[in-house]
Amino acid sequence: MNSAYIASILNSTLRSTTPILLAALGSAVCSRVGVFNIALEAQMLIASFASIAVNYFTGSILLSVSAGILSGALVGLIVAVLQVKYKAADMVVGTSLNLLIQGGTTFLLYLIFGLRGSLVDNRLVSLAKINLPVIRDIPFLGRVLENLTIVDYLSYIIALLLFIWLFKTVSGFRILSVGINKAAAESLGTKAVRIQMGMVVLSGALCGLGGTVLSMGQVIMFTENMTSGRGFIAMAAASLGMSHPLMTILSSLFFGLCQGIGLALQNIIKSQLTMTLPYIATIVALVLFSRQLKPSAKLKKQGKA
Amino acid sequence: MKHITKVYGSLYANDDVHLTLDKGEILAVVGENGAGKSTLMKILYGLEQPTSGEIYLNGQLQHFRSPHDAVNQKIGMVQQHFMLLNPCTVAENIVYGREPRKGIFFDREGAVRVTEALCEKYGLYIDPRRRVGDCPVGLQQRVEILKVLYQDADIIIFDEPSAVLTPQEVNELLRTMRKLADMGKSIIIITHKLHEVMAVADRVMVMRLGKYIQEMPKSETSIQEMSYLMVGRHIVERKVPPREPTGRVLDVQDLVLAGSDAKNILDHFSIHVDGGEIVGIAGVSGNGQSELIQCLTGLLQPTSGKILLKGQDVAGKTVGEIRTAGCACIPEDRYLWGCAAKASLTETAIMAHQNRPEISKRGLLNGKGAKDFTRALLDGYDVRNSGQAQRAGELSGGNIQKLIVAREVEQHSPLLIAAEPTRGVDIGAMEFIHNKLLEKRERGDAVLLISSELTEIMSLSDRIYVIYEGKATGEFRKADATEEGLGILMMGGKSHEAVS
Repeated sequence: MNSAYIASILNSTLRSTTPILLAALGSAVCSRVGVFNIALEAQMLIASFASIAVNYFTGSILLSVSAGILSGALVGLIVAVLQVKYKAADMVVGTSLNLLIQGGTTFLLYLIFGLRGSLVDNRLVSLAKINLPVIRDIPFLGRVLENLTIVDYLSYIIALLLFIWLFKTVSGFRILSVGINKAAAESLGTKAVRIQMGMVVLSGALCGLGGTVLSMGQVIMFTENMTSGRGFIAMAAASLGMSHPLMTILSSLFFGLCQGIGLALQNIIKSQLTMTLPYIATIVALVLFSRQLKPSAKLKKQGKA
Repeated sequence: MKHITKVYGSLYANDDVHLTLDKGEILAVVGENGAGKSTLMKILYGLEQPTSGEIYLNGQLQHFRSPHDAVNQKIGMVQQHFMLLNPCTVAENIVYGREPRKGIFFDREGAVRVTEALCEKYGLYIDPRRRVGDCPVGLQQRVEILKVLYQDADIIIFDEPSAVLTPQEVNELLRTMRKLADMGKSIIIITHKLHEVMAVADRVMVMRLGKYIQEMPKSETSIQEMSYLMVGRHIVERKVPPREPTGRVLDVQDLVLAGSDAKNILDHFSIHVDGGEIVGIAGVSGNGQSELIQCLTGLLQPTSGKILLKGQDVAGKTVGEIRTAGCACIPEDRYLWGCAAKASLTETAIMAHQNRPEISKRGLLNGKGAKDFTRALLDGYDVRNSGQAQRAGELSGGNIQKLIVAREVEQHSPLLIAAEPTRGVDIGAMEFIHNKLLEKRERGDAVLLISSELTEIMSLSDRIYVIYEGKATGEFRKADATEEGLGILMMGGKSHEAVS
């Protein structure tokens, strides 16, 4: 195994991480305010579709990315209204939205484009690839960071900003308080429901950006159900990262690495097998970490009692 | 507050109630559970809107649509159930809502300084950097009080403030209230602990069944008069005749429960309880009582030691096995351990009775049998309810506690563990529950009473142990026990100090 090979694995790790990280941040902000949002998958998939559709008709990157973010936020708003405002069961809302969007995008693909399966077209424009001036000439690093899009970089900045917002500012403190003790936050005049709804919509927007990267980043196409469970992997990443934005970067990179390795091994092992790698990693990681996390969870409970 | 009426469905929680409060005064609002005290205060604090009636503050008509409005009018409330962010620090909790800022950032150091200044001003000291979840209950309450003071409240409502405190903490709290009143704050205290009213209040207002009954200056009333007005009948002072114990029922030998660090949570703890005896365990909460109960009932596995129940070692056995061996338990937290809030009264009542032949046969519940059984418990223990389909969580604290007591006493087990059996319940319910425990003792069963309420332990117990840091540090016969003696041991003093 030579260094070029490793560099290419790392490169594809970074590319695969971005959608997971963005969605995981969305999941993290939801769980930080005590909302269990499992419609991440739907929020991503609608954005993958919407961005490509707008891309097809306008050819504008800006409009397509906005469409992705907005459509994700819109699904987030549906979750917020049903789950937070009307207190519908999270499992039911999430699962039905995931199924609805999966079927809906397939249906719209046929309705608008008359296509089944996927939409590929050479009119579609992709996100600009960036090759940083000095770094691209550094042998190993240059290859690792080759052809990344602006959103790939942006996702880490978003994570950092979220960290600062939640943990360093007053409004962040109030947001976190809602997840810690909603009744206490409300008793002090914080509009807890509004904050919860806002955070769910934000998670929709973040997932929307993630879904947009998926269809306009590495490849430039829309495929039925192209998120293929990334929303759930993102939930696992957020939970491993203990819903902390910076820790979530690490856990998302871990899942990105699994995908990267999976892709690299495709030439050696049957791809059906390598594609299962991220999912196996999800299960193994959750089991391992739940062991470690248990004592502290228990302590928290005692503190409450 | 004038002509305040609040109707829930067909229930008048408040029926044309009046309340006045002067500056620098401590007003005690007393009444049984369900008398409407809390509802009245919720209306004053903007948590509930009155069906009719008006609130005037310094002569001005007010409309409080939310606690926010009340806070803006300098009304603060120290809730019975603390509204705290446990993982956050004391300072963060106190400044919540009006946080000091540095640019766009939350100035946490500033919060610490503000808290220190506040502590200094009111003489209520606490470490601002400590995590609230790590503070004992008394300090958590102090955080609540400081929170209200930070919001600059002139009127402070205390809702059942002493329900969860130790005797020392209660004294501290009463001193604090007096101090605040002397500084010009007006205080309303909702309570049904009449000796606290006598200790601290200037004026007393009695409520019963949602109605305003009477008010009078403290100096012109007595505990007897107040309790008569509250309950509507006289409460008899209890005389407990001595009783010869029968055979040994519970014998705990050298029980050890290791903690997460080097210190044991239960440290070679040995006690015994005989039939026909109520044995009290006194102690400041958090000294191993909860863990002791959990070890005895099988919820926790002790590290070593024996728990002999009627001669059979049940240490490490499952909850079901221990219950079958003859142990019933009134758990310390009625909502956490005692019932499922969403279960119906029938379901709550038959828990642990489900194998009785009249309730189930071959794994199938007999609906009528269960209902009859529940009816008997509800009637026999005076649990006020609106039908068996009502959810346990919808009963008032005193009533759900009576139902749990009913369920556990009716196990007719040789041993009954009663943990904080009257925490947060009114006099009527308290008297009732105490009588049930004494009846249990009369039948020759053993009762282990664990309570942070010293008066309760002293009035009921035949023998008293003190628990301190997981050790049984003292044993008293009823005749030898004094509040001071127990108090010294509870605070970690030596037993010879307690005797002298």
